[in-house]
Amino acid sequence: MRSPARLALAAAVLAAASRAEAFPAFARKYGMSCSACHVAWPIFNQVGQNFRDNGYQFGLGKDDPITLTPGYIPVALRTTPAYTYTRVTNQETAQGPATIQQGGVPLPPGVDILTGGTIAKDLSFLLVISGFGPDGGASVESGWVRFDNIAGTGWLNFKIGKFELDEPASAHRGVSLLYGYAGYGAHPQGSLVAFDMGENQVGVELDGHDARSSTRYSLSFTSVNGHEGLSGNAWSSPMVYGHVQKAFELDNAVLPWVRVGALAGVGWVPTAFKQDADNNDIPGTGTDHKTFSRAGAEASWYLGYPATPAFFTVAYIYGNDSAGVIPVDPDGATIDPYTGAELGGHSNSFNSGFVEVDWVPVSEPRYDATPWLIFGRYDVVKFKKGTGDTDGATLGVRKYLALGPRAAAAIHLEGHYDKVKGIGFSDTGAVKDVETTSVLAGIDFDF
Amino acid sequence: MTRTTTLAISAVLLAAGPARATPPDPAAVKRGEKAFSRYCVSCHGTEGDGRGPTADWIDPKPRVLTSGVFKFRSTPSGTLPTDADLLRTITNGLHTTYMPRWAATTEMERRDLVQYVKSLSSKFKEEEQGKPIAIPPAPPMTPQLAQQGKAVWDKMQCAACHGDTGQGNGQSAATLRDDWGNPAPPHDFTRGPLKVGDAPEDLYRAFMTGLNGSPMPSFADSIKPEEAWALVAYVRSLRKGD
Repeated sequence: MRSPARLALAAAVLAAASRAEAFPAFARKYGMSCSACHVAWPIFNQVGQNFRDNGYQFGLGKDDPITLTPGYIPVALRTTPAYTYTRVTNQETAQGPATIQQGGVPLPPGVDILTGGTIAKDLSFLLVISGFGPDGGASVESGWVRFDNIAGTGWLNFKIGKFELDEPASAHRGVSLLYGYAGYGAHPQGSLVAFDMGENQVGVELDGHDARSSTRYSLSFTSVNGHEGLSGNAWSSPMVYGHVQKAFELDNAVLPWVRVGALAGVGWVPTAFKQDADNNDIPGTGTDHKTFSRAGAEASWYLGYPATPAFFTVAYIYGNDSAGVIPVDPDGATIDPYTGAELGGHSNSFNSGFVEVDWVPVSEPRYDATPWLIFGRYDVVKFKKGTGDTDGATLGVRKYLALGPRAAAAIHLEGHYDKVKGIGFSDTGAVKDVETTSVLAGIDFDF
Repeated sequence: MTRTTTLAISAVLLAAGPARATPPDPAAVKRGEKAFSRYCVSCHGTEGDGRGPTADWIDPKPRVLTSGVFKFRSTPSGTLPTDADLLRTITNGLHTTYMPRWAATTEMERRDLVQYVKSLSSKFKEEEQGKPIAIPPAPPMTPQLAQQGKAVWDKMQCAACHGDTGQGNGQSAATLRDDWGNPAPPHDFTRGPLKVGDAPEDLYRAFMTGLNGSPMPSFADSIKPEEAWALVAYVRSLRKGD
């Protein structure tokens, strides 16, 4: 892998964790503490999941904007001013491989602006604009409209727009501010596919659930992210993705709740383009679509009482990128550095997964009832061939300063380490890994 | 005094003392406190006194749980609710109020919340919980039955509070207060279900048990079950849509 791609990989995985959605405007609308809907902000509990599944409705006559005080504005802001330090090994420099360190407080820290809720009964929406950081840019992170409870049943809802796929653990409501789920965006060496399951996709979704969201499904038809506008197809780079979940209550305070799920998806991306005079691919001319696929399973459970749980999630994701999306790179980027074999023109696959625990140790009789969250995660990606095997560990703690029915704030301390095999820059032919160490200390503020 | 005599007197005193039909279960109360802190304090307050930070602006006001007075019961007027009554309210929520439906929480949490709510009021230690009233099978809700119900409506002077058309705009409506002095507007029967539910049995129960803490009395001593069902039919006929 060439240096820009290597840097991009590190940047993408690190950045993927920084766009979490949480919406205290709902707390203001209903007068409820954040802890009512979140195991710990921003991670959903079943109440939050059910509220979202219902189209941001509780269904008791207080959802429609016409029932609200005129002063209510369905807008929320989230910003996280923080000191971050990152150390990345074996980066390319004119003087050979080097370790690059960066630290500081990016100013301005960037803001997520969220608006969402119900436009009318059974018609919900969400719009998230993210950016306003040091580069001043902003983009539509998410924007969709959903027709809820079609024909009066929760089993039939239809969403259109740019949205997050239903995942084993939401990449946009993850607690880590440093590291996204590595398996979500994993690809074999040399693959053209840019798909990242944790990124929002453009398309439509059919989904449904039972009254308590114990049983859920989603079926999405989207255009693969990262390939927007490239294809000459009417639907760009199509992808079909489905996810089902089933939760069980075990009626004991040690293991009170367990949920299992499974996912599968297949996508097609263009592999041939017309080129301009400078040999650059011309967007909108992509043809010869080839496939990639994902499949997986997950289990989540509460260990301990549901109000103060250790919330575990274990997920496994298998990925396969077909031979067609891994063309031979004339510059040698598809040569397996370990075996010298040409990987281009051959399919490649990976096994990935993570185990995460989000532990709320105490619940106190006060308005900010769950003041602590301790979290940890281990990510792993193992490819059948080539570079990119990843091991990552993340550990952090959040001290909530506010979780009341108005706003939320938390002191966030987090550390992360990962090693990605075989992607380090080498000027001697030796295969080198890239190790990334990062630390974040800041205040996560949501109003 | 012999030991036997002492024991006998103690037994008599205990028998004459407060009935404790289903006192709060200590283990469940301890767990329920955690759930209460997570889900309930923003409205009901940390002490269950209905003075959470949200209470100032929501209408109707959250229940003062320390009072032991509950509107939505299956038990006779003036009595404490059953555990099932409390569980039903927690599970289903209350329509057109800020009491949400907590059905998505685990049943264990909701059962523990019932015990914790009971622990907040000394009444549950001092008084026996009420026994559910008998609800006879609902007759078909026919126009003829609704016509009979209009006579019951007039007999019980429902219009004084609920208005001639059931819109909650009777002569007394503006003056009604609950036990805590908060405005207690009568229900508008033309718009949507009762707070506690939309089944005919929910209306029947409200008529025959009253709503403790509110101006809505029980009709149990004033009308017969068949009259209550007729009143249910009439009130349901007033509905114009949600």
